[in-house]
Amino acid sequence: MRTARLRQGLIASWSGFLLLILLWQLISSALIPDPSTFPGPVQVVRSTMQNLTLARLLQHLGISLQRIGLGFAIGAVLGIGLGVACGWYRTLGSVLRTPIELLRPVPPLAWIPLAIIWLGLGEGSKVFIIFLGAFFPVFTNTFKGMTTIEPNIVRSAQMLGLKGRRLLLRVVVPATMPDIATGIRLGWSYSFGCMVAAELIAAQSGLGYLIMHAREIGVTAIIVFGIVLIGLTNLITDYLIQELILKRKLRWHFLGTEQA
Amino acid sequence: MRRSADGPPRRTRRGVTDFQIKLITLAGLLLLWEALSRLGYISPLVLPRPTRLATTLWDLSVYGFPKDITVWLHIRATLWRIVQGYLLAAVFAIPCGLIIGRYYLLERGTNPIITFARSVATISLLPLAIAWFGVSELSRVLLIMYGAFWAILTNTIQGARSVDVNLINAGRMFAATRGRIFFRVILPATLPRIFAGLKIALGISFMVIIAVEMIGTVEGLGALIQQARFFYKSDMAIDGTIFIGILGLILSLLLDWVERLTLPWAVGLEEVKR
Repeated sequence: MRTARLRQGLIASWSGFLLLILLWQLISSALIPDPSTFPGPVQVVRSTMQNLTLARLLQHLGISLQRIGLGFAIGAVLGIGLGVACGWYRTLGSVLRTPIELLRPVPPLAWIPLAIIWLGLGEGSKVFIIFLGAFFPVFTNTFKGMTTIEPNIVRSAQMLGLKGRRLLLRVVVPATMPDIATGIRLGWSYSFGCMVAAELIAAQSGLGYLIMHAREIGVTAIIVFGIVLIGLTNLITDYLIQELILKRKLRWHFLGTEQA
Repeated sequence: MRRSADGPPRRTRRGVTDFQIKLITLAGLLLLWEALSRLGYISPLVLPRPTRLATTLWDLSVYGFPKDITVWLHIRATLWRIVQGYLLAAVFAIPCGLIIGRYYLLERGTNPIITFARSVATISLLPLAIAWFGVSELSRVLLIMYGAFWAILTNTIQGARSVDVNLINAGRMFAATRGRIFFRVILPATLPRIFAGLKIALGISFMVIIAVEMIGTVEGLGALIQQARFFYKSDMAIDGTIFIGILGLILSLLLDWVERLTLPWAVGLEEVKR
């Protein structure tokens, strides 16, 4: 009976999805028959292919991915590193967290004007914004993980003679991994939003620029195509991070939560 | 219970508290910044010194930038947009979420759409909103609404879906009607998740509005810092950014407070927010 219910659910999922696309096509061809304002799914693909070559599209996608990859990598590495350091050394934590906690409530996108003043209109400012988007969630989650670790784990490790750096790297950091994973996932979605916004506001390439430019030349179909492409890229990359990296590396942790 | 409240082994230093260290750090940083700036190591065009920022703050709150739009007017414009979009999102998302969450097939059927709609970066809808509604207040409010809507919706669905069956059965045992069970059992049991969603949504709305205001308007905090950037007034851009940070902090503290006020029974809320 349970499997039957699951199968019903799967059918419902697909039909919901197909229904939406059908509805979209119907509205566009019956109710709002104006492709320059409300293009249907068929027109979106056709019109985009007429105006853009696949190579050009992939180029925009590639540049966006390159930016987010670089910014996110710097943000995640610094976030984990500083988070672990601040959690392990109390005084250092108090000192470093003062500026970090002060800057945290500022949404990363609010840094765009300052980033442009400081780093110019080049790649630097975009990577900086993406970096900010990743850094804060990764840092706060890592730090939270470090400070809410089960003390008995640390105590038993100490009793067995582990101390210093070995205690940190062999016990404390692995125990913090689930929180780091949460931070990484959050950070990725934040940096993704930051990437799009930064490209929308100040860029000459990338997915964000693609749709903003499409608005300027007045091709709504490309805007819609770009939005869907951005959404899909976000969905796929998030899935890759979640399933292929985090779940595989942290199988011991997720096994426990799925049974519960 | 996986974790307990007390942290890793701590070395307590006598005399100096955590708060004092933070205060000293902050004062030290400001002094260092001021000193480096006065000695000419930091260009005032790039990073104006703290005292300069203070005088600019005065200018912003009295004379305004662009002319006559004081920072208070900017804050009012930004807040008003957030309030409209956020409330609209909540009004639609909470009932939708409660209904979707209670019907398995409906939940499955909408799941792919919701997952995808959530992945669409809200900011990426800006060009479309401009194409449809022009550079207008409506576009801005709708974008905030979009961003907030999905966060509230998914959390409400999660909450409504995982209401303890025993609670509902207990209600049935007391011969409560369907409507009564809905309002007296399901809704209160979902509230912690709804608040979690409202909280996330507020952060999203705030982020969205700042970015959206950078395009096509002179009113609002996002517009303030963007205009300051155009005229290369880094002191105003920094002050504006500080205001944005303070406003963000106040908003999240406000929501914490409302949550405690309305959900006094939800003490272990940390366990629910996942």
